[in-house]
Amino acid sequence: MRSFEDDPKLLDMLSPERLKRLLSLIETLSSHSLRLEEKYLKEAEPVEFNLECLAWLHCPGRPDVQQAAARLLEFILMYVGKYRLAANMHHDTTRASYAELERQNIALQVSEARFRLLSEELQTRVDAQVKIIEKTQRQLYESARLRAVGQLAAGVAHEINNPVGFISSNLRVASDYLNEISEKLPDDKNTHLMLEDFRALLSESVSGARRIATIVTDLKTFSNIDQADFTPCSLNALLGTTCHLLQAEHKATLPLRMELTELSPLAGYPAKLSQAFYNILDNAVKALEKEGGEIRIISRQHQATQEIIIEDNGCGIPQDVQACVFDPFFTTRPVGAGSGLGLTVARDVIAAHEGEIQLDSQEGQGTRITLRFWNK
Amino acid sequence: MVDYRPHERKLILKVVFYGPALSGKTTNLMQLHNLLKPQRKGELMVLETRDDRTLFFDLLPIGLRGEQGLDLRLKIYTVPGQVQHDSTRKAVLSRADGVIFVADSQPLQQDNNANAFENLAENLTKLGMTIEQLPLVIQFNKRDLEGAVAESELRMRWRETPWAPLCMASALNGHGVVESFRALLERLYPQLNHEFHLHSNEGISAEHFIRQLSAVAGEDHA
Ligand SMILES: Nc1nc2c(ncn2[C@@H]2O[C@H](COP(=O)(O)OP(=O)(O)OP(=O)(O)O)[C@@H](O)[C@H]2O)c(=O)[nH]1
Ligand SMILES: [Mg+2]
Repeated sequence: MRSFEDDPKLLDMLSPERLKRLLSLIETLSSHSLRLEEKYLKEAEPVEFNLECLAWLHCPGRPDVQQAAARLLEFILMYVGKYRLAANMHHDTTRASYAELERQNIALQVSEARFRLLSEELQTRVDAQVKIIEKTQRQLYESARLRAVGQLAAGVAHEINNPVGFISSNLRVASDYLNEISEKLPDDKNTHLMLEDFRALLSESVSGARRIATIVTDLKTFSNIDQADFTPCSLNALLGTTCHLLQAEHKATLPLRMELTELSPLAGYPAKLSQAFYNILDNAVKALEKEGGEIRIISRQHQATQEIIIEDNGCGIPQDVQACVFDPFFTTRPVGAGSGLGLTVARDVIAAHEGEIQLDSQEGQGTRITLRFWNK
Repeated sequence: MVDYRPHERKLILKVVFYGPALSGKTTNLMQLHNLLKPQRKGELMVLETRDDRTLFFDLLPIGLRGEQGLDLRLKIYTVPGQVQHDSTRKAVLSRADGVIFVADSQPLQQDNNANAFENLAENLTKLGMTIEQLPLVIQFNKRDLEGAVAESELRMRWRETPWAPLCMASALNGHGVVESFRALLERLYPQLNHEFHLHSNEGISAEHFIRQLSAVAGEDHA
């Protein structure tokens, strides 16, 4: 690589045209013809720049003219050379500064890339942390909620169990007494009718008491919150107990229509499934604001799956909201009315059973939630 | 630089006057131009200046011919001392074979001397050289000024460095300039001789080298 200080050649300093002009000017001034060559000429005078011989100048027969002309050329070349040296130096330093800038720029880019990577890493870590926090919160909510409901259910079951027990046995004893009494009564038509009625009343009461006992058993299932292993569950039965519980909590007769078909037992967590049903039904109830609303609860057995459909003809969910109904803490209800975790918990529970949850909703028309479980 | 072209039998060396602004580098070179009568001497080129301060560099080429026809040349440069011209300073310093560091003897200039010396070391490193290996002479200039830091003190301070003994100069009056230059030639020769066998191959002894390149009027350099 050439540097600013490399000795220049003659033609680096003056172009052939300028050189020719310069020479002819000197020839005119001296009235002699001159020859200028880069190669050595015999008897010629060297033309130097910085001790470097650039060319040979020859003026035949006139060494004095030849010498003066060479000095004049050197004098001019000296200024040309000075300018060139300065210009080359300027060029060199500019290039060096530019190279330095580029180096710095590359270094900056490298460190910027490093920082960007770091910030992306941080972002992923923050995201991961947020997920963990959300999940923990959800689990906390779920278990607290389940515990509360479970405690309530356990309490109710305990309180009802005894009275229902003696009501059932008393009713049986009462039936026996009734048989004994009937033999001692007159054998007329009115008495017969009355006894008939009495027996029907008693048997209705017995079956009522049996139903109460079933509910108590269901409640026990529901409240069995710490059950760790999958047990065979009947989704229909769980839906039944959940509906009862829902009615009890809303202190009203809810417009629930059950269209259940027989299902094969499903391995799962009964308490969690009940919780999921409860959350979905609870939302459905809250969506029913106008008169004439109804909630249909459908169960279907298919070859490979069983399906639970919970459908309401309430307010429906707006399109833009549908995407986030499963987001934790998302709720369309006024603040305080719910934590927003309901559907998320339901989704997690279904996921834990390797099932899927599907939402279809139209604003003003209603909402349908389909739960699909695979038979094993 | 040691620009050695065997086919042309040309050896071009580079000596650089380095130092803080206004320490007298250009003055040193002008005095060398006036005082030296080397075998060959080119024109002194003082490139751009502003208020007498060097913007690019100054250059004086001198030379000698060895017995075997070696064309040996020495290009003597000065750098711009002002801090802002560092890239120019670095370009001029690049491939230097020897450096004469011109320090200012005035007490108030001692910080500038130190900064410039540090800058020299830094630039040498950037250019792939080390200050310990480069032939280097330290000259304290402006000895004529009243209040100059005492010579004994300066010598004491530099005693333990590889650059003792120091050269004292008053470049404005031409004192000590040629001596500093000779001191550098003395430090330069062994390295050149080692590399190019100046003595055995070219018939250029140390004495010949120094005398031919630093002869002054009245001295005979045949
Ligand atoms: N008194 C005194 N003045 C000096 C001496 N040497 C140089 N000067 C003065 O110091 C000033 C600067 O001298 P220069 O030779 O231009 O300094 P420089 O080191 O080339 O400065 P830059 O080109 O800016 O780096 C001039 O006014 C010189 O006359 C000296 O020995 N004694
Ligand atoms: Mg200068």
